[in-house]
Amino acid sequence: MNNGFEPNIIGFLCNWCAYTGADLAGVARMKVPSSLRVIRVMCSGRIDPLFVIKAFLKGADGVMMMGCHPGDCHYQKGNFSARRRFMLLRTILDNLALEPERLGLWWVSASEGQRYSRVAEEFANKIKNLGPSPVRGEIFL
Amino acid sequence: MKGSILPFEKDLEKSILAFLKTGLDKECFEAVLIPHKIPSDDNYAYLLIKDKTLLQGASPLPPVIPVQGAKAVSALTRWGPSKKKILAVMHPCEIRATVELSKLRQASLDNLVFLSFDCPGVMPLSGYVKNPGEGDPAYQDARQKWESAKMRPVCQTCSEFGAPASDLHIGLLGAEEGNAFLFPASLEGKRIMDKLGLETSASSDGWEREVEKLKKAREEKRRGAHQSLQTRVEGPDKLLETFSSCINCHNCMRVCPVCYCRQCYFDSDAFKLPPENFLARAQKKGSLRLPADTLLFHLGRMSHMILSCVSCGTCEDACPMGIPVAQVFSLVAENAQRLFNYVPGRSKEEPLPAAVYREEELCEMEKPYLETYARTGERDASASENK
Amino acid sequence: MPQLLKISKSVDEGTKAFLEFLLKEKKVCGVITLRKIHGDQGIGYSLITRPDDLEEALPLFPLMPANGGKILSRLTLRGSPKEPVAAVMKPCEMRAFIELIKRKQGSLDNFVFISQTCPGVYPIEMSSGGDLETLASRYRENIQLGENIPETRSACRTCLHFTPPNADIIVSLIAEKDLDKSCSLFLNSKKGEALADGMAGERREQTLDSPELRLLHNKKKEERKKLFDEMGTEMRGIEGLIRLFGKCIGCHGCSYVCPLCYCDLCFFDSKPNESRPISYQGDLERKGATRIPSGTIFYHLGRLAHMSVSCIGCGMCTDVCPVDIPVSTIFSRVGESVQKIFDYRPGMDVEEVLPFAVYKEEEFQEIGEQ
Repeated sequence: MNNGFEPNIIGFLCNWCAYTGADLAGVARMKVPSSLRVIRVMCSGRIDPLFVIKAFLKGADGVMMMGCHPGDCHYQKGNFSARRRFMLLRTILDNLALEPERLGLWWVSASEGQRYSRVAEEFANKIKNLGPSPVRGEIFL
Repeated sequence: MKGSILPFEKDLEKSILAFLKTGLDKECFEAVLIPHKIPSDDNYAYLLIKDKTLLQGASPLPPVIPVQGAKAVSALTRWGPSKKKILAVMHPCEIRATVELSKLRQASLDNLVFLSFDCPGVMPLSGYVKNPGEGDPAYQDARQKWESAKMRPVCQTCSEFGAPASDLHIGLLGAEEGNAFLFPASLEGKRIMDKLGLETSASSDGWEREVEKLKKAREEKRRGAHQSLQTRVEGPDKLLETFSSCINCHNCMRVCPVCYCRQCYFDSDAFKLPPENFLARAQKKGSLRLPADTLLFHLGRMSHMILSCVSCGTCEDACPMGIPVAQVFSLVAENAQRLFNYVPGRSKEEPLPAAVYREEELCEMEKPYLETYARTGERDASASENK
Repeated sequence: MPQLLKISKSVDEGTKAFLEFLLKEKKVCGVITLRKIHGDQGIGYSLITRPDDLEEALPLFPLMPANGGKILSRLTLRGSPKEPVAAVMKPCEMRAFIELIKRKQGSLDNFVFISQTCPGVYPIEMSSGGDLETLASRYRENIQLGENIPETRSACRTCLHFTPPNADIIVSLIAEKDLDKSCSLFLNSKKGEALADGMAGERREQTLDSPELRLLHNKKKEERKKLFDEMGTEMRGIEGLIRLFGKCIGCHGCSYVCPLCYCDLCFFDSKPNESRPISYQGDLERKGATRIPSGTIFYHLGRLAHMSVSCIGCGMCTDVCPVDIPVSTIFSRVGESVQKIFDYRPGMDVEEVLPFAVYKEEEFQEIGEQ
């Protein structure tokens, strides 16, 4: 099923927790999938639902949203908004049968390099099994 | 004018597509902007095509204009000229609108080559989408006969179906059975035909005669249509009646290629008035239609874009209430443009009338004004009495 | 239990008489209602201050040329009227106004609302060049059957909120048998009672709820489920989305007439949304062909993300679409799911805060910790 399919996964990581956690994973030489392309945002609350939709329409096979654990947000409440927006996106994708499994939200703190490595690998494998996004190659978008 | 005979044994569209494919093969252009049927089979959309296999399903002569081609070109080149050479296959009115947009700095014509064709008109969009099974044969019929009551009203009276401002033109009128006449209308067009090894030796006299004939017939028809329309829309009462079912959706403005403003003036803060304004107006007249300023929107839009209106009819297609927007605007456009001796889109170099002036002009308009209003003596005396 | 005021005139004449009473007694300085535009040619909203002009009013006409909530928002964007104004609005128009007020796009001050138990309206295209009289009488004949009226919009046939909870006065229409002879107004609030004080008519106490209303509610619920199930099979996946929205011509009429889409300059019409040449080139290289202008599906998905939480299902979007895309059905269906997740009822209570303006520290706990 895989056929050496390398997915394109976009990750929106908050600067203070998730991105630092990812950095830590890198420094500690933990295994991180090369298919994950990271976009740093200052807070997970910055993740506009349109970013996620645009990523999928441009052919991303998977999208990850990552931020601080609830209660630990550097800006106090950004991640609470992110959580609600994630629920909105998932509901829309689900309702339109657009494979909501391709979108995920994880709370990863600055010290959780190990966790970052694990969730990224797990997600990349999940996407590999799902196969390429059916949106790829659609011309009439 | 000299050109080439393009044989199309069975299918004109297939021959044009073959020509385009050859053009891509020989690198005369790197991509083609051309309408293509959409997956639900009931409408068309512009595609920018590089992959030759995807060209197969394209439609150089679609029966409808869902998106004005000028808008597509503007979307592509508003932020800068195309880096690749693109051949755009569009109706004559779309090409003219693109030229206008380039003058308005909303599109760039660099690296863009136009292929036009004799246009039999297109069908009203809403009706076609509801029933393409009926629309397709009606369009084919119009292509054969060049006269059809099923085409849009502005198309039926259009006399600009020829080849202004394009680079290559396919002449269908006066062509012998199974042939079309392909000729270059610019240096670039000639270059392409040379590169494709198409000789330009066939004479276009037959085509020109037929075009002249049809043009005269259309102009006659338009005169009649405008005369009749004028009586139905002139004066405040009749004009209000014509626009009485307008629901202020502003579709007409948004699909119009010339209306390029991201935020229309009529949607701006200028119209965000305090309630006292509306109540005062309602109290003065007894009542006030809401949303207010419907006619102001139409006349205002008219004053903004009428000098570049190419009578493409997209506005009427988008109107959900069936108001004859395009017909009214086309009527006024002809008169307004004649005032400045301007034909939108006929020349890339011709400046927009509102962007230039001559110190001595429009004297024939000034004279009656002076005569009526600049009378000294009696008029001044009566004016001071009224104060 | 609300008071019922029964006026011995036909429901149209009775309502007009009531509006006339309000203006003449100076209980309100103006009435916003539907009226004939330019001699029978069309129908539209009008702010009427002169009682004589009410002659042309058609307060209960089964058409919605614009969402009244949007009109009220325009009126009260920069302030409220200094004296009371009566607005005759259908239930969904009231709900739209309430959603707009939550977004600071209007104010309820000095308004009194006259609404109706709404059997639905016809698509607007049925008004152009049509015979308004015939349309109205066809509608009246069908009301008393207490069923979904044939040829009304699908948004209306599947609407479950046809009884407005927030109106001051409610004209009883659904399943009324004597519309030619009697006009029943429910005085649904203190304001409503004060307004009707002095109006000639029979009064008694009566509850708004009735077996006919409940029956129609069930019928609509069934039809809604059927419509949503059918749409559910159509709008599956990107192919389904392209099949439904592929013919979109990008006129953005749907967002323009939508009461919830109040942005002066929609994001999708703005500069940041315009594709740069490099974006087109990239798409062209990747796919071999790309649609110009781009972003048709992006526009619709984006609009869903922006407003589906407040979609009140008024159906204006489908009405205005030049290529007959069933926008309202799709948006209502997604909207219903989104509203359920946040346990949100758009347009019901002006105090109920918008889902994206709040959060709960403890909610959706299963998210993020996996």
